[in-house]
Amino acid sequence: MYNIKKYSLAIVAATGIFATQAVFADQLDDVKKRGTLICGTLGTSEPFSFADQATREIKGYDVDFCKAIADSLGVKTELKLLAVEARIPELSQGRVDIVIANLGYTPQRAEQIDYSHQYFVSQQKIMTRTADGYKSINDLGGKQVSAPKGSTSETAVIKKVPTAKVVTFQDPPTAFMALVQNKVEAFALSELTLIKFKDQVADKVKMTILPESMMAEAWGVGVKKGEVSMLKAVNEKLSAMEKNGDATNIFKKWLGSDSPYKAPREFVIAPIQG
Amino acid sequence: MSTEFLFLQLLQNESGTILYQGIVSTLQLTLLAGCLAFSIGAILATIRAAGQPITVRFVAGYVAYHRNVPLLVQILFWYFGITALLPAPVQSWLNQHGGAFLSGAVAIGLCMAAYVSEDLRSGMRAISTGQLQAARALGLSFIQAMCYVIIPQALRHAIPSLVNEMLLLLKNTSLLMAIGVAELTYATRQIEGQTFRTFEIFAIATLCYLTMSFCIMFSGRALERHFKMARR
Repeated sequence: MYNIKKYSLAIVAATGIFATQAVFADQLDDVKKRGTLICGTLGTSEPFSFADQATREIKGYDVDFCKAIADSLGVKTELKLLAVEARIPELSQGRVDIVIANLGYTPQRAEQIDYSHQYFVSQQKIMTRTADGYKSINDLGGKQVSAPKGSTSETAVIKKVPTAKVVTFQDPPTAFMALVQNKVEAFALSELTLIKFKDQVADKVKMTILPESMMAEAWGVGVKKGEVSMLKAVNEKLSAMEKNGDATNIFKKWLGSDSPYKAPREFVIAPIQG
Repeated sequence: MSTEFLFLQLLQNESGTILYQGIVSTLQLTLLAGCLAFSIGAILATIRAAGQPITVRFVAGYVAYHRNVPLLVQILFWYFGITALLPAPVQSWLNQHGGAFLSGAVAIGLCMAAYVSEDLRSGMRAISTGQLQAARALGLSFIQAMCYVIIPQALRHAIPSLVNEMLLLLKNTSLLMAIGVAELTYATRQIEGQTFRTFEIFAIATLCYLTMSFCIMFSGRALERHFKMARR
């Protein structure tokens, strides 16, 4: 009992010290002094952040943005792999300087951390069998559309094509199977995952992804709440990359014409509309 | 007062419609699968009672498969597996006419038929073999003897366990959520996803299931009383 009290006192004291330090120290100065930018990333999310099979090196769309931001600060990049649910706590506790890890904007998250400009926008789209000849999401009124249960995709269909009948399944592969077997007319999911599914069955069934996006989720670089100079530095670099074409090139390499996805770039780096 | 208000509020607008359609769907499934289960179960029990070695083996195999493979696997197998083997025109007809509903009802009906046939078999064992022999001696064919003499009596003996299977069948329809059939559990999850009122909607679903179960239980009781046999 006595020990617990002693320890908790020590912890309280230590937190107090760290808290005071945080008030005075500027994270950007720290990073420059240290000479490394610790960038939190997932490491498990192809093509954004994943291990190269040959070299075991972590690479991808998110990683290239980590490197570009570190370069602009004149420091080395240190990648730290984070679990999805650890992204915000690790950032809030200062164990990583910035987080570039599939971090979609939500108002709830924006209360805990600061978001940079969007560097990627994930689109919710609809895929159909090419043979059926659907051209637009508006053709799907009264038709059955599959989606994973409780997902953003489900909500997106209900909002954008209210007359369609949404049939939900436990997971994305099952919902996709329903489309392949003609059990539904269309399948809603994020565009990149749709492209993956589409390629998997390309030799058996031809699929078409309808061009209109139903819902867009903006991804930003996560910065610790209140680190104004760091946020400013990140945003300046992102805007510069948009202007000089670096951002477009990174997109082209991992997601666009140089990648298996061949996804169109339908966004520009700009402040997130919250 | 306030909770009552919340419950009522939840059932207004589209949530109420979704729930109502879910209940209707669950009842339809129970009825359809129940009819299948009882008719196929009776046929299976009769075949088994006839005692031809090959057909008895077949029935035993049928019962073993349906009792030993999880029902969810059987449902997925029917919906994604067996329907894919059907000729294309049949498939597209099915897909346009609620294929998930039909294949789900068939999967549950066939599975529960195995249980029903076992219940009837144990009911038949309660009837002395002398009755069948006597019926045959009076000139009834085997089928006639079964239909007029044996099965009606076997049914009486089997009522308690048949009611049990019927209750199981009602609850098993909730598994059809996995293939996108909008029955009561699917509707509940859907409303939960839209309103995040988890406690209220699951409480309502529980009440609905309980009401349906009690109806089955009480009709079972009534049947039992109606057919009460004189004690031997």
